[in-house]
Amino acid sequence: MSDIFKVKIVFSQSHLIMPKIILGILIILGVVIFIQSLMKAKRENRPVMDFKNKKFFEDNYDKVKFYGTIILLLLYVFSMNLLGFILSSIIFLSLFNVLFTGKKDIKSIMKSIVISIIETMVVWFVFGYIFEITLP
Amino acid sequence: MIDFGFIHLAVATLGVVIGIIFGALPGMTATMAVAIFLPLTYAYDLTTSLYLLLGLYVGGISGGLVPAILINIPGTPSSVTTGFDGHPMAKRGEGVRALRIGITSSLFGGIFSLIVLALFTPILAGWAIKFGAVEKFLIILFAMTVIAALSKGNMTKGIFSGFLGVFISLIGVFNDNQKLRMVPEIFSMDLRDGFQLLPVLIGLFAFSQLLEESELGMKQTIINNNVLEDKQTKKFSFKDFKGQIINMIRSSSIGTFMGILPGVGGSAASLLAYSQCKTWSKHPEKLGTGAIEGLVASESSNNGLTGGALVPLLSLGIPGDSTTAVLIGAFILQGIQVGPLFISQNPVTWNTILFALLLCNLLMFFIMFYPVKYLANIIKIPKARLYPAIILLCIVGAFSTRNGNMVDVVTLIIFGIIGYVFSKIGIPVTTFLIGFILGRDLEKYFIDSLKGSGGDLSIFFTRPIGLVIWGLI
Repeated sequence: MSDIFKVKIVFSQSHLIMPKIILGILIILGVVIFIQSLMKAKRENRPVMDFKNKKFFEDNYDKVKFYGTIILLLLYVFSMNLLGFILSSIIFLSLFNVLFTGKKDIKSIMKSIVISIIETMVVWFVFGYIFEITLP
Repeated sequence: MIDFGFIHLAVATLGVVIGIIFGALPGMTATMAVAIFLPLTYAYDLTTSLYLLLGLYVGGISGGLVPAILINIPGTPSSVTTGFDGHPMAKRGEGVRALRIGITSSLFGGIFSLIVLALFTPILAGWAIKFGAVEKFLIILFAMTVIAALSKGNMTKGIFSGFLGVFISLIGVFNDNQKLRMVPEIFSMDLRDGFQLLPVLIGLFAFSQLLEESELGMKQTIINNNVLEDKQTKKFSFKDFKGQIINMIRSSSIGTFMGILPGVGGSAASLLAYSQCKTWSKHPEKLGTGAIEGLVASESSNNGLTGGALVPLLSLGIPGDSTTAVLIGAFILQGIQVGPLFISQNPVTWNTILFALLLCNLLMFFIMFYPVKYLANIIKIPKARLYPAIILLCIVGAFSTRNGNMVDVVTLIIFGIIGYVFSKIGIPVTTFLIGFILGRDLEKYFIDSLKGSGGDLSIFFTRPIGLVIWGLI
């Protein structure tokens, strides 16, 4: 009887004990959550996999800004390796500014570029020089 | 003994001002402010960064009252109830009065919780010092259950997200035998130490918010300027607080207590304080139409949270809310163990924390109370111009985690998307984060307990303190 409550601790394998336990708990909880939503669906008389009525995004969400943000972020990170921190930050901060304000006139774009240059320089100076933090 | 000098005062002021701005902008929270500025702790020593971070915390919680009163949109979740009575007052032309009452109540709540923090933490810590590995394991388990139980929505999802956090934290090398686990071959170098805390934090709390805002199109909150510029019908005076003392103490206690409970969060605290205020009020029908009582209750309770949430952090090493969960990062980054021994081992830091909290509350009061008419301008700061700067700060912050490693920047983006998806499908992010922070400790204490008992699981059920904690679970 008491053997059930015993766990063998082998030093070379001890790194695998906890992940196994946690994974077990996660699977049990996952099943519970699934059953719960199954029962809820039954009570409300609707199909279990009701993807049509469930919306992940808000109504009329801003597709350009949302996907634009993700794409720009990825490009930004990759470009930092190629162009260095200052140049890529200025370019991408301007792009973010233009994307978020959504205005396409020259005045607004110029404003975006100026803001980006100032911000990049301030961060570069404050972090890189005063605090001696390594920058990309 | 406390550490205090000119630089500390300057940094605290900066923290409070930035905190108020973050708090006052709907969608940006105190947690986000602390997460973004956390990397600066690399540059400063711990005490200086504590002044900054506590300033951000206090400012961020307090700033939420500005838009709540002026446009009836809470700037932070914890000021949901402030608008119930604050906004009707502003519409009556008592905007300045409402703001000042709110600010003064915030100060009271902050100081009240500070006193509780100072008195209560050493006692709790002294009690927790007797804990062995078994009890430590159980107390973490207990904290996670409480967090999950009190988290919004579905409890099972809360527990699930906590354990998911633990699971993610286990990725990498186990310190006991230096063996790698759960890491695909190709990433074996990049993920040797698992995911770093800082990029995970910033991703979960700042980047996910960025994605949510961009989904909504970065719309600017529109504010009608006239609210504060019109002739004020009623002036503020400290006499307004006559008869509010009991209300203030009650609400602050509720806020502080809710802060001590792990994972409850500010909105629950102010809602509870508001409903209690209604129950005890002599004129419950007046609440919601611009009664001072409601405003006082809401604001003193949400600032009561600040000190309360630090109690479990500094005595047990368990964060009380999402902001303190981020704050624990500052200690970890500086290599200081927060837990029962914290106060006795770092008396200077402990005194400094108390003093910094007092200072930040006072600064918050002076910064907001006198230039009250200009506060409305904060809401006008265009988000479309602010978010790019935040992106820059986040990336620099993540990058500096291990002195320049692109893996951390990628981690930042991954966890930004995870945080965004979690909030969409209703999995609480705070629970995940707390699981992630405490995961490694949980494992260590579990293995240590088993080693001590020779692998006998009954060890968890036989020790007296352990049994008490089981009872609580």
